[in-house]
Amino acid sequence: MATSYDAVVIGAGINGLAAAAMLARGGERVLVVERGDAPGGSAATHELAPGFRVDGCACDVGWIDPQLDRALELGRHGLRVLRSEATVFTPLPDGDSLTLWRDVRRTSEELARHSEGDARRWGAFSERMAHIAGFLRSLYVEPAPTPSAGSVAELLALAKVGRRLRGLGRREMTELLRVLPMSVQELLDDWFESDALKGTVGASGITSLLQGPRSGGTAFLMLHHHVGNEPGVFRARTAVQGGAVGLASALLSAARERGVEIRCCSDATRITVEDGRATGVLLDGGTEVRSRRVVSSADPRRTMLELADPQHLQPDFVRAVRNIKYRGVSALVHLALGELPRFTARRANGDGEALRGVISISPSLEYLERAYDDAKYGGISRRPYLEATIPSLLDPSLAPPGRHVMSVRLQYAPYRLRDGAWDDAGRESLGDLVMQTLAEYAPNLRDIVLHRDVLTPADIERRYALTEGQPDHGQLTLDQILFMRPVPGHARYRTPIDGLYLCGSGSHPGGRVAGGAGRLAAKAILQEPR
Amino acid sequence: MTGERRGARAKGDRGDASGVSEHDHAPYSHHARHPLALTPRYDVVVIGGGHNGLVNAAYLARAGRRVLVLERRERVGGAAVTEEVFPGFKFSVFSYVVSLLRPEIIRELELPRHGLHILPLESTVTPLPNGDYLAAWGDHDRTRREIYRHSPRDADAYDEFGQLMHHMAMAVRPILAMMPPDPTSLSPAELLSMARLGKHFRDLPQRHFHALFKLMTMSAADYLGEWFECEPLKATKSASGIIGTFLGPRSPGTAYVLLHHYFGEIDGAFRAWGFAKGGTGAISEAIASAARGFGAEIRTGASVERVLVKGGRAAGVVLAGGEEIGARVVVSGLDPRRTFLELLDPRELPDDLVEAVRRFKFRGSSGKVNLALSELPQFTCMPGHGEHLRGAFSISPSIDYLERAYDDAKYGEFSRQPYMDIVIPSMIDPGMAPPGQHVMSIFVQYAPYALNGGWTDARREAFGDAVIDTLAQFAPNIERAILHRQVITPRDIEQITGLSEGNIFQGELALHQLFFLRPAPSWSSYRTPVRQYYQCGAGTHPGGGVMGASGRLAALRILRDRSA
Repeated sequence: MATSYDAVVIGAGINGLAAAAMLARGGERVLVVERGDAPGGSAATHELAPGFRVDGCACDVGWIDPQLDRALELGRHGLRVLRSEATVFTPLPDGDSLTLWRDVRRTSEELARHSEGDARRWGAFSERMAHIAGFLRSLYVEPAPTPSAGSVAELLALAKVGRRLRGLGRREMTELLRVLPMSVQELLDDWFESDALKGTVGASGITSLLQGPRSGGTAFLMLHHHVGNEPGVFRARTAVQGGAVGLASALLSAARERGVEIRCCSDATRITVEDGRATGVLLDGGTEVRSRRVVSSADPRRTMLELADPQHLQPDFVRAVRNIKYRGVSALVHLALGELPRFTARRANGDGEALRGVISISPSLEYLERAYDDAKYGGISRRPYLEATIPSLLDPSLAPPGRHVMSVRLQYAPYRLRDGAWDDAGRESLGDLVMQTLAEYAPNLRDIVLHRDVLTPADIERRYALTEGQPDHGQLTLDQILFMRPVPGHARYRTPIDGLYLCGSGSHPGGRVAGGAGRLAAKAILQEPR
Repeated sequence: MTGERRGARAKGDRGDASGVSEHDHAPYSHHARHPLALTPRYDVVVIGGGHNGLVNAAYLARAGRRVLVLERRERVGGAAVTEEVFPGFKFSVFSYVVSLLRPEIIRELELPRHGLHILPLESTVTPLPNGDYLAAWGDHDRTRREIYRHSPRDADAYDEFGQLMHHMAMAVRPILAMMPPDPTSLSPAELLSMARLGKHFRDLPQRHFHALFKLMTMSAADYLGEWFECEPLKATKSASGIIGTFLGPRSPGTAYVLLHHYFGEIDGAFRAWGFAKGGTGAISEAIASAARGFGAEIRTGASVERVLVKGGRAAGVVLAGGEEIGARVVVSGLDPRRTFLELLDPRELPDDLVEAVRRFKFRGSSGKVNLALSELPQFTCMPGHGEHLRGAFSISPSIDYLERAYDDAKYGEFSRQPYMDIVIPSMIDPGMAPPGQHVMSIFVQYAPYALNGGWTDARREAFGDAVIDTLAQFAPNIERAILHRQVITPRDIEQITGLSEGNIFQGELALHQLFFLRPAPSWSSYRTPVRQYYQCGAGTHPGGGVMGASGRLAALRILRDRSA
């Protein structure tokens, strides 16, 4: 059978579509196979109940890789990013609340109510963090530097990073090197005194991580989530017109325009390999698709150990892949609401302005740490950290007039439970836990829920083919980023199997950089001699 | 002593004496350069007679400088002291084992000639709640068989792991003996030093480089989890990663300290741990004797109140009594907080340094219980008075056990079920206790310095009880055997030794407080913003453990700077 494609891409998620579009843009003949009935992967938007539409497990599409946006002119393909002035709203047990705004001054004014000193320091903190995140940003739009490689090109790339680091200036540079390995608690304690502020900002240091705010490296994760935002903008979510799928649709349209074919409801069950080289994929129907290259946006463990046959791999590599830490910790609850929840906290803004961003149940770092304590021993947080959004406030088209949809991410719900596996009872108790926790701040919530859909980490794994239900395709910890991602020595999207590439969040720059890994993988492939 | 004789002496030395001999005639160039009217009596005054201060003094005296060491207490040693706490019972009150003491120091200061005698500590036994145990013996094959008993898979991994860690330690060792370069500096010397460092790491096999990176960034539990499945094995090994820090074994940043166990060398034999005959104080005494041998003076009972600064330059020190002692160079062996914020007027210092020192993390997290015993403990898991009592006992049955101990401390309480490292020095060195009786040293973690409600005599005893109760679960006769007990909290460590917040390493060995960040960015060079004022304590690179490296490197720095 003659090779009919230059590349077959597994998965029509954001990174899969980004890779496909960029490959086609480079003149490759590309087919995308998607197991779901629509593109989007975890960013797909589905109907929760008639007239109510919610995003998959990506309520925040993340930071859209600017070079991808430019190269594919996503705006022309219908991408509309929606902004809310409020980035995060944290109701507090004492009836007060804290809202952070895009506008640094407005946030300072809000902070003054909690701590004069914190209000004064907010500006300086915002500048300092923006500097450090700016350096990370520069690393995220290029292939990961590989310090141990000897080639001249690599050394030059490394020197470039070194120069950029020095470019930060003496103070910022040492601050960067000092801060990254710290715990987010140590970092915030150096700056602030308000528990509400530290809990609200610090929460981004533990997102989708089986660690608490006192754990080393969580300062890095906080900064990772800050990349791409203006100074002072923490916890902001990127919302897209029509839901997260709006981004997938734009990418799909850009890809189709360049001749990419896409087949939905086609689950790739095997990557075919002949004498050490990938030759295509087998679909669950038994159809075989032949291709010169296979580019997988599935996570590394699934790609290398399930879709490909490990017999083609060295034991060391297999061990490295098995050692990737996934450790899903999130559950999702989607709600169809008859009306807007009323938060009783002061300053909750009846018009819902404060509710347009993220609604965060993270009153203090200790609250988050105690939530982690439960999960550390394989239990569900009795007082969980919640991150809720009401997408219909920004995009009314997601719900019938006057009604709303709400998506809540609960942390910690560990994928591996100490006693037993996830079952229906566990799923329902999670739903109840979310309702009960939120109702403490918005009592009317109990009476306005028309429909609720609960996803345990096991459900997320099953529905979105995310190993251990981890949305980033592997925890974002210092030992699993840059040249260590997905596994040490294989950070350049190639795998030990010729013709097989990784283009998902499991590779650099990792989760939350929408389309970054896809674009960089395509770039690496196109640079290879044809 | 004349310059010529000094020259001969220094040149006669082996090892890294180059840094010493090359500047041997420095003192002569001095008087001309020096602004001080009358010539001070000393070239160097060292504040603090802890092991680093003594090492520093010994090296400077060895290079012919007139050195005075000022120690607040009546005995030298700081946290490395032996005291007869109870009649006939001698204790290494604080630091109790030796492993990290740099071999070049033992060599160059000829410490054995000054009475240093290390007795090996061979085994480590981890008693388990189910009555079983995990043991590591001096004999490698025996250890392997023991691990096999718990997990054949781990027994296989054990050798490969050991070899890799050995390579890691070899890769990092040169760094222990180097002055940290400042990556932000543009001076050619620093850039060259950085480049050399970069090359050193790039020249490592990729596999080793990646393993090293993981060590620097992972948690001890995860790092060990990639190799082993046996809980007591993982827990006992990871315990070394939490000592002196305020982190649990599952927190990233704890894996690096695992390596410290593999730096340990006695007579060049890797990973050997042992006691100094006569207790840890004997190490300090040997160094002090060496220092005196080179002509250094040591004054005890002399508490330094502040450093004299004239025109931005250190000119001497003022003692508590008001006595002033002039010196060309003042070296502080105290921790960064005292060195910068107490001995100096912070207004003498740049703001960002003051800020950096203020946020330098001490957070003492460990305590000590010293017991005088009428009889030996009977461990249920290993009855009798066999060789195992000559080794260590580690109360670390599982990672969860250590994490729960940490959870208590996180919220301001001491661990109800703490991690403990237990040794019985009198088994190896009978001189430590009266005939037939024994001393037991128990290192305990976690005991937070900032205890809820603060430390009181009652809380101290409650802490001691928690320790004894926990030990009694594994050695039931312990309560009966206790003649006397001394309980030491982080607060006590601070009050007795002066270590801020009772941190045994003069500041946590966390990744963001190591190398060129220790104790503060751009001040990791042993220098300070005050000319002629230097730091030589464990709060500088390479940090804690009775290593002496900071004191030695500071001395080399001072000599290279031709400051004294």
